[in-house]
Amino acid sequence: MKAVVANRLIDGEVVFWKSGQWVERFGDAELFDSEGLVEQAVSVGKSQPTVVVDVYPIDLVQSEGCWAPLSYRERIRALGPTNEPTHGKQAEGGDAVEALRHAAGAARSTGRVDLIRRK
Amino acid sequence: MYQYDLIDKEFLADRSAEFRGQVARRLAGELTEDQFKPLRLMNGLYLQLHAYMLRVAIPYGSLNPTQARRLAQIARDYDKGYGHFTTRQNIQFNWIKLKDAPEILDKLAEVDLHAIQTSGNCIRNTTSDPYAGATAEEVDDPRVWCEVIRQWSTLHPEFSFLPRKFKIAITASAKDRTAAKVHDIGLLLRQGRDGQQGFEVIVGGGQGRTPYVGPTIKEFLPTDRLLSYLEAVLRVYNRHGRRDNIYKARIKILVAALGAEEFARQVEEEWSKIDAASADLPAAELTRIRAAFATTPFEALPARSEAFETAKSKDPAFARFVRNNVRPHKQPGYAIVEISLKAQEQTPGDASADQLDVVADLAERYGFSDLRVTHAQNLVLPHIKLDDLPTVFAALQAANLATPNIDLVSDIIACPGLDYCALANARAIPIAQDIARQFADLDRAEQVGELKIKISGCINACGHHHVAHIGVLGVDKKGEEFYQLSLGGSGAEDASIGKILGPALPADKVASAVDQLVEAYLNARVDGERFLDTYRRVGLEPFKEAVYAQAD
Amino acid sequence: MPKLIELVDGQARWAEDSFAHLADEDAIPAGGDVILSLARFQAEGDTLLASNSRRVGVRIEPDQEVEVLAYDLPRIAVVALAFPKFRDGRAYTSARLLRERFGYQGQIRAVGDVLQEQAGFMVRCGFDAFEPADGATPDVLTKAAGRFRHVYQRAADDRPIALDERAV
Repeated sequence: MKAVVANRLIDGEVVFWKSGQWVERFGDAELFDSEGLVEQAVSVGKSQPTVVVDVYPIDLVQSEGCWAPLSYRERIRALGPTNEPTHGKQAEGGDAVEALRHAAGAARSTGRVDLIRRK
Repeated sequence: MYQYDLIDKEFLADRSAEFRGQVARRLAGELTEDQFKPLRLMNGLYLQLHAYMLRVAIPYGSLNPTQARRLAQIARDYDKGYGHFTTRQNIQFNWIKLKDAPEILDKLAEVDLHAIQTSGNCIRNTTSDPYAGATAEEVDDPRVWCEVIRQWSTLHPEFSFLPRKFKIAITASAKDRTAAKVHDIGLLLRQGRDGQQGFEVIVGGGQGRTPYVGPTIKEFLPTDRLLSYLEAVLRVYNRHGRRDNIYKARIKILVAALGAEEFARQVEEEWSKIDAASADLPAAELTRIRAAFATTPFEALPARSEAFETAKSKDPAFARFVRNNVRPHKQPGYAIVEISLKAQEQTPGDASADQLDVVADLAERYGFSDLRVTHAQNLVLPHIKLDDLPTVFAALQAANLATPNIDLVSDIIACPGLDYCALANARAIPIAQDIARQFADLDRAEQVGELKIKISGCINACGHHHVAHIGVLGVDKKGEEFYQLSLGGSGAEDASIGKILGPALPADKVASAVDQLVEAYLNARVDGERFLDTYRRVGLEPFKEAVYAQAD
Repeated sequence: MPKLIELVDGQARWAEDSFAHLADEDAIPAGGDVILSLARFQAEGDTLLASNSRRVGVRIEPDQEVEVLAYDLPRIAVVALAFPKFRDGRAYTSARLLRERFGYQGQIRAVGDVLQEQAGFMVRCGFDAFEPADGATPDVLTKAAGRFRHVYQRAADDRPIALDERAV
């Protein structure tokens, strides 16, 4: 499964592709299981240079029934910095944020997930 | 303190207006991101993991209270109420919006602050001794020369598109607090035999993926020839530095490839062709700049302060603070006070807006309106009367700014790492917090003594791990955050590059490994050696043994 | 529409470009001004100049040193300094050396990835002609080159610098 991410040009906010629009919450992101649709979303994103920058797809992994970004970097982007738990997207809390925070990864079965796979 | 005159102020206003236009053109689609990126970088604006990050220069590491309060205001109005002091005498704001950036630059310019050349392949903010003008060690005030270089390098028409970034450091003390030997150019101000002053010029030091302690290419450069000589060095670099590979584009690679002697020869040859009358700074301008820095109106005070001595004997916490954070001043009755930004659980180098305001008030009330930032991510009140020290200490304590750990094991340098930085491979901040927690006991930290731990979240080495007594480098090992330890580096006058201890460790083993290294040191040390001295005497083996033997 | 902009007395303006940029494989035209690569200039420059019937310019790439032109400069009408990428800053050094060290009086033309953002730097280093790659007009270039009311360091132009202004 994949999602498509970018930074919004005007403020740098991390955004996720959702059926033709950019949304701020990972929980709202469109999940792709087709490479073709991913490429299509990326190419639409790249054709919007005054809306978003750095458009790319990320890998997702299933964890306790939820989908989470595979790489630790992308989890931090979806949540916010780990040293300031009230800063960034994680500030609003809720189930989706908690699930992401505790998502287990592919490389580690217990404890903190320390995955880092770059785009 | 140097005051910007109308010329300096109009220059900043013009720069701000230019950037406003560039942002408008970018938002309108007239500039592509490829074209815009170098422009925003030359105004200190990066796109990081969560938002834009604005890096503001603190020239010669010096702030007045108005400037510090303005930084606090920007932290409140445009960020999340804090700023991050870097290892290069800059402050970074982590949550900036592109649309706000021109307005922020305007507000900075109002108080003579700017973000010019805090990124990009140009000459960056010159690193200076945070004790300048306060320490008895220095042969002259290095800020004078930092200001000379600030003006000379600002939008330099020839040197704004160098092969790679370019960092200069100046120190005028034997004890180097600028990491001069690992800068692109390190200038060590010396008193010559005939009383003339000159710079020992070190070129081609650096960190990153190819660390070097820079070689000396000129033993004694008369100070009045500084600008023409810099022009020669930069010109040789601009022409011959590699542009085909970003990792080999720093001047250190050119110097290493040519050899220091050949590089020096090319510089001398170029220097001999430069018209000194046009390139060097006229004496009158130097006098004007010098006068601006020589204005601290110290009072004539006795060297001993009863209030200070009494407080020291009555309050062990104050005594501890004095032992670790207070340094001798050139003027009797005064002291240099270091403010640690490394409290337990604090992000190294972070200061809240409220803390900035507190420090600004203290500088204004007790410190000749002078505040410094250090490359170790701490602050300094350079001129505090001994009589006022107990009061200043109490105010710092109330703001959680009195952690008595300068140069101790918990005074850790850390880059923003993967929590913020788009280049990072691993987090640095939580590792620093883990280690600091391990050494929360201040008695033990004092017993361990000077120990410089520095953490970088990637090979670019913003956390100076190569020149740490104990360096920690975050690496990506099969998708996990791992940390490689190195020992024996120093960024000071006895500069050296650390040696890798052994295989990288997982995050939860780093603090305990540091503990094992410290125990090994305490067992081996003789005659009040620092960690670094013991390491240099006994070598890597006992430390390797301490960390890895148990693991088998 | 001509795409050459010349700077005259601080004002940029459109200019007719009489020079043809010749690639190394192009035949030398029967007449008219030409800009040649350095290699071709070194091979054929003398012949072309001897006829006295046309003006000759030389295109210098960033890795070529302008010092090699020193003896020929009085006969060269244009030195075109190439910017393969705008971030390649070597041509700034080349321009300053031409003006300040060799006293070159002819045209120094910026060609390649030439953007308005660079205009201020270029003018200060001695460029006086531009083939903009970003569609910049003379107005835009004039504005870009004069954006800063003050400058801090001496270069190839004769602008008073900050310390001159302070000394007044």
